[in-house]
Amino acid sequence: MAVSDISHRPRFLAKGNVYLPHIAVIEKIIDETYDTSTFHFNFKDEKLREEFTFESGQFALVSILGIGEAPFCICSSPTRIDHLECSIRQVGRLTRALHRLGVGAEIGFRGPYGNCFPLDFLQGKNLVFVGGGIGLSPLRSLIWNVVDNRDRYGNIDIIYGARSPADLCFNYDLEAWDKDKTVNMVTTVDKGDESWTGREGFVPQVLEQVAPSASNAVAIVCGPPIMIRFTFPVLEKLGFTPEQMITTLEKRMKCGIGKCGRCNIGNIYVCRDGPVFSYAQIMSFISSEY
Amino acid sequence: MKDGGMEQKLRSEAKALLEQGKVDYIIGFEAGSLKFTTTPLITSDKDDIDRLVINPFIVNNLSVYLSELKGRAGIVVKGCDSRSIVSLLQDNKVARENVVILGVPCSGIIDLGKVEKLVGKDRDEIDDITQDRDRVVITVDDNRREFPIREVLFDNCLGCELPTPQEYDILLGELTSAASDEDKIASQKKINSLKNIPPEQRWEFWRSEFDRCLRCYACRNVCPACFCQRCFVEETEPLWLLPVPRWQDNLVFQVIRNMHVAGRCTDCGECERACPVNIPLRSLTREMYDMVDELFHYKAGMDKEASSFLAAYEATDVEDFIR
Amino acid sequence: MKKVTDSKKISKKNIAKLLDEWRQEFTVFVPWRDEAVAKWARWDGKDTSFLDWYRNTVVPPKAIFFPPMEEMFSFQKDREGYHLELPASDEPKQLIFGIRPCDAKALAVLNMTFSDAYEDPYYLAKRNGGVLVGLGCTNPYDSCFCTSLDSSPTDSANVDLMLTDIGDDFLVEAITDKGKALMAKTSLAEAVTRADEARAKDVKETTYAKVTKKIDTEGIKEKLLSGFDNKDLWEKIAAKCITCGICTFLCPTCYCFDINDELVKNQGERFRSWDSCAFPLYTKMPMENPRVEKWRRLRQKVCHKYVFYPMNFDVIACTGCGRCIRLCPVNWDITQTLDNLSAEAQVKMEK
Repeated sequence: MAVSDISHRPRFLAKGNVYLPHIAVIEKIIDETYDTSTFHFNFKDEKLREEFTFESGQFALVSILGIGEAPFCICSSPTRIDHLECSIRQVGRLTRALHRLGVGAEIGFRGPYGNCFPLDFLQGKNLVFVGGGIGLSPLRSLIWNVVDNRDRYGNIDIIYGARSPADLCFNYDLEAWDKDKTVNMVTTVDKGDESWTGREGFVPQVLEQVAPSASNAVAIVCGPPIMIRFTFPVLEKLGFTPEQMITTLEKRMKCGIGKCGRCNIGNIYVCRDGPVFSYAQIMSFISSEY
Repeated sequence: MKDGGMEQKLRSEAKALLEQGKVDYIIGFEAGSLKFTTTPLITSDKDDIDRLVINPFIVNNLSVYLSELKGRAGIVVKGCDSRSIVSLLQDNKVARENVVILGVPCSGIIDLGKVEKLVGKDRDEIDDITQDRDRVVITVDDNRREFPIREVLFDNCLGCELPTPQEYDILLGELTSAASDEDKIASQKKINSLKNIPPEQRWEFWRSEFDRCLRCYACRNVCPACFCQRCFVEETEPLWLLPVPRWQDNLVFQVIRNMHVAGRCTDCGECERACPVNIPLRSLTREMYDMVDELFHYKAGMDKEASSFLAAYEATDVEDFIR
Repeated sequence: MKKVTDSKKISKKNIAKLLDEWRQEFTVFVPWRDEAVAKWARWDGKDTSFLDWYRNTVVPPKAIFFPPMEEMFSFQKDREGYHLELPASDEPKQLIFGIRPCDAKALAVLNMTFSDAYEDPYYLAKRNGGVLVGLGCTNPYDSCFCTSLDSSPTDSANVDLMLTDIGDDFLVEAITDKGKALMAKTSLAEAVTRADEARAKDVKETTYAKVTKKIDTEGIKEKLLSGFDNKDLWEKIAAKCITCGICTFLCPTCYCFDINDELVKNQGERFRSWDSCAFPLYTKMPMENPRVEKWRRLRQKVCHKYVFYPMNFDVIACTGCGRCIRLCPVNWDITQTLDNLSAEAQVKMEK
């Protein structure tokens, strides 16, 4: 994958009717696990292909016209912009229909929406990525973004785990990061199988074992809610302050632009003010309904 | 309904039930925030009990709350409401030992819509509405007008089949008599007038009625028989209906809902009362009710020992539709 | 303070003519009450009996700019792929005749959401071309409480023209330039007399006093927030609610919507339709639902209107129209809830 510098591109803003999706064509499908696949696609409109840009952490509303629309984070990196990637897990009507599509099928794409990982804040710091299952998806965009601009950041630790070896996503990336000597890649599974020779243990436990230093560090966490709830206390124990912990929240979304109301937590809209939040911000939420 | 004595008895019984720990909470009626309205009171605090009322405006079917509340409830029910409880017992949705039924013998509930039409004034412009046995006295701007009580009762009250609960733990008053045949016919007037128009006209009638439907689901949510955790309209795999309020989707929603409550609907009329855009839903539910009676000689909520109509199978069931 | 002497008056007998004049330029919407329900409908060109009815509708005028269902676009699929088409919008500009101050204020509140950050093209296309001709109330319901929310039954703040019922005529005040332009075009307006002005003032004062339901919004945000995590209190408040959509659908400031697609063979549409935060599936995600319990949804509804919306837009998202109270099947009353919550907060503060 070519690394292309997109810093010259102006920030992409949707023009015209914000609810009209752009049409994109599926170019490749990689099966990550039995229920998760990564879809590589590109816009049909050439001009859009050249103009489009986004930032790590942003999401888009992907649809099959006639079936429905749902939010998915863009898991490819803005530093590798020749195509876009979204990882999709089969959980309902739309996602099962997406999995029935093949290469060449057309999907609707609205976005990018939301805020992004704060690259300025992360610059010059040691980064600790903590991911679980398909939660690696939004982190992946940031990790490649960071790795492709390696000299801007300090140490990189990636701690990633899944329920079992069959649930590990992005194996090809895990391999690449493992090979990269400037990155400390730690992979774990809750429970291994006969052929598993790697680490065993829940992600928060492994995080505690790896014990990355909190000095000049930022932890970026993403995974199932239960993993996040057990990870934050471990990070606190390791000395991370709430401002040093960042995560991305998931909510049911429809409009993606802060109008339909459903993704709100108190007075903030996850689609507009998030989905990236620091733990300090989360602690100041009026409601714990997220 | 002469309520003075019943109200006192209700309050003392309810208080005793809470104090003796026989129930976890009482479900009854208290004065509403608007004139001539009452509102459900659900409380476990015995200090709230003095707010309980019984009057001709206690319209809600409180048994709708039994499906969601955990614990034991003392519940105030009129005859029609008690049938809903029996229907829930038949469905095994509620356990008999978890309800203490406080039965109210009912002589009919006043339909404020009919009152408003009779006097040409809105509810909040009326000074007083008092029932005096078989007459109602409505006072507007110090003008007293009397009408026969039949003219202001709800349609389904006119045709009431069980004014006094058959299934109860405590009966709060004297038994009242069921509706006369004449009244039963009067209660079906609107419905029967629909049956007498040709099918194309009837279709056009319902099409225009359901054009107004907003899919607020009040009809479904007030219905004690609609207790599904996840309603069929909320299913996406398979997707039966869009939540979009087109008349086609609205009509299909209501028809399927009627099919689902067939044999469990007791014609309490709450669906029609709750509808904010006045769709005559009872015309559909009553039709279903009558069909079940005609074909299977069965009425919901009359016999708690009877098995739930559509959930049971008898060897003697008709099978001539299987070809 | 605008001078009442700039006002004109129009005889009620001339309203049909006036509406007919306006009909040449606009689609005129009037309050419409029939056997079924009171709502807003396109004027049929003849019937002005709605002038004899002095109450508010059941379905609010938000249904004109933000309809219960709306096609966002249609699409067709052929060998070349998908083709999208926006719906044809050939209806002329809309004039809403007889909108009450509570509903007009509500439209101003809705505007804030639909024009914030990303502009909502469907709502704004209709609203920006729309003209509001307000009608002051003379006989509020016992469920109205607009006077507690920075408004009044005769408030002219959010309309283009404001009518006040002074008997055989309507006093007409031009509030905005749009309103002034409309008045300039018609010859049906007459000059007002001192007696007319006095009558109008009297009507406004008398009607204000007729609003009996009141709430205290002093510090309401802080009071609601102080009891935010009081699960027992909220469970008690929510106990009788049946979580239907009546209050949210009939509320003139509620705007939550759902987006759904329909497909028939190779073509279809994407619709948006009214949704409610009271519905159980509103926030449901595949693996979890943060608002399963009824009390959470009710808390969300109340706090969105009185805490969260004011935090974002500096205005309470409620205009006291009272429809939620009037039409709730169980007579759940938000004013009672706010009083209870305020009282609890007071007790807590004193401890």
